[in-house]
Amino acid sequence: MTPEELFESQKKAVLNGDKEAARETARQALEMKVDLLKSIENGFGAGIREVGDLWEQGEYFLPELVQGADAMKAAMEVIQPELKARQQSRKVEGVVVIGTVEGDIHDIGKTLVATFLEANGFKVFDLGKDVPLTQFVDTAENEGASIICLSSLLTTTMTGHGRVVEMLKEKRLYGKVSVLVGGAPVTPEFAKEIGAHGYGANAVEALNQAVKIMEAV
Amino acid sequence: MSLQDLVKAKTVLLDGAMGTALMKRGLPPGMPGERWNLENPEAVRDVHAAYIGAGSDVVQTNTFGGTTLRLASHGLENRFEEINREAVRVAREAAGDDHIVAGNLGPSGLFMPPVGEADPGALEEAFTAQAEVLARAGAEAIFIETMLDLEEALLALRGAKKGAPGLAVSVCMIFEKKKKGFFSPMGNRPADSAKRLADEGADLVGANCSMGSVEMLEMASDMISAVEIPVVMKPNAGLPETKGTEVVYRQEPDDFAKDLLAMVKMGARAVGGCCGTDERFIGALRTGLDAL
Repeated sequence: MTPEELFESQKKAVLNGDKEAARETARQALEMKVDLLKSIENGFGAGIREVGDLWEQGEYFLPELVQGADAMKAAMEVIQPELKARQQSRKVEGVVVIGTVEGDIHDIGKTLVATFLEANGFKVFDLGKDVPLTQFVDTAENEGASIICLSSLLTTTMTGHGRVVEMLKEKRLYGKVSVLVGGAPVTPEFAKEIGAHGYGANAVEALNQAVKIMEAV
Repeated sequence: MSLQDLVKAKTVLLDGAMGTALMKRGLPPGMPGERWNLENPEAVRDVHAAYIGAGSDVVQTNTFGGTTLRLASHGLENRFEEINREAVRVAREAAGDDHIVAGNLGPSGLFMPPVGEADPGALEEAFTAQAEVLARAGAEAIFIETMLDLEEALLALRGAKKGAPGLAVSVCMIFEKKKKGFFSPMGNRPADSAKRLADEGADLVGANCSMGSVEMLEMASDMISAVEIPVVMKPNAGLPETKGTEVVYRQEPDDFAKDLLAMVKMGARAVGGCCGTDERFIGALRTGLDAL
């Protein structure tokens, strides 16, 4: 098998949400001693990008998104230790702090965004749900994050998003740290109104926004 | 008169939003509305009374997050029976004997594989248990709503039929407008979903929440033409916006009613409002329906 054929099978594993195939083709990459970073970029990574495209086209839905991200995760679990041993590291696209805001316990979308960002090379600190607003800012400061992602399903917790933006301004971090907001009741107009830097209706849009922000950094 | 008979006789007017109505009456941010069945039942009754006054034929109990599974995430699962029982009691107080009290069942909040790890058997049991308490307390119908997943909707339907035998069961799902048409978050299509639910014994099927009346109007005919059983349409009052700490819905009651009356003309047999709607919306619908 050529490396290109291997990358193709890795891409398919993620596209099909096949965790077993993802693990197997990741192991093959180790055995064949191919460039692991190329494997991530042209193999599994190509798969997760296509999962995102298919979502945008309305062909893939939540189940396919989750399965693709899980397959990607499974592959990374095999590859990461080897990368560490070789003292290589995947290029970190950016550092992100994410969570569902204080008072809100809905987290499926947020977890999906976190998984998707991670699958696409971001270092993600997922603070979980019902996260105190100060924790977003403190973690971003301590970990050198460029982006804070805030999620709400309840309209009543949306006001927390604005407070996080205010807190960043108070700590003079507003330019350095960007804020992305999302969740069913959140809208682009709302995002603009509170001074957020972007809005994502789903995990794929969140990724696009995050990439855009990092390109401007 | 039972819901089944009522919907044969006329277009049924359901009620409006409960969650946003409770928030307007002071429900603190983050608190589940079901808590007020115990701590502030007068406010809940007030909401029902407002809808009855505006012309609703049916009021739905404040039990949207009332399964043991959902209540557990707020530490309330040990008050499960009380919460659901009290919800029916205050609804009945407002509805009297000449309006229908429907028990409301919302999503469990859990997801089955591959999205999550919930066990289908556990979900069905939870829905059965809730339907049972609601029926025993005097609910005359079971309204399953805001389902994101056809598979969970089917489990809820089975649970409702098991727990509340003889009561009419309505099942509404969430759909979103995507490039290729309308889909639930899990990828289910409205017409296919309606057919499956009807085949499995639903007495009414439809769509609620997630979109405003303008968008729901676009998907209505697909669903209506897919099944013989009555179709329910219950959109939001547009999309929510925040103004500081307040949440506002922009759509006007008359515009909302116009779209729903158009759906009735297409064949929808039960209409109402979801998030952001209030008694003004129900009033506008009542006026419109009476004029037809």
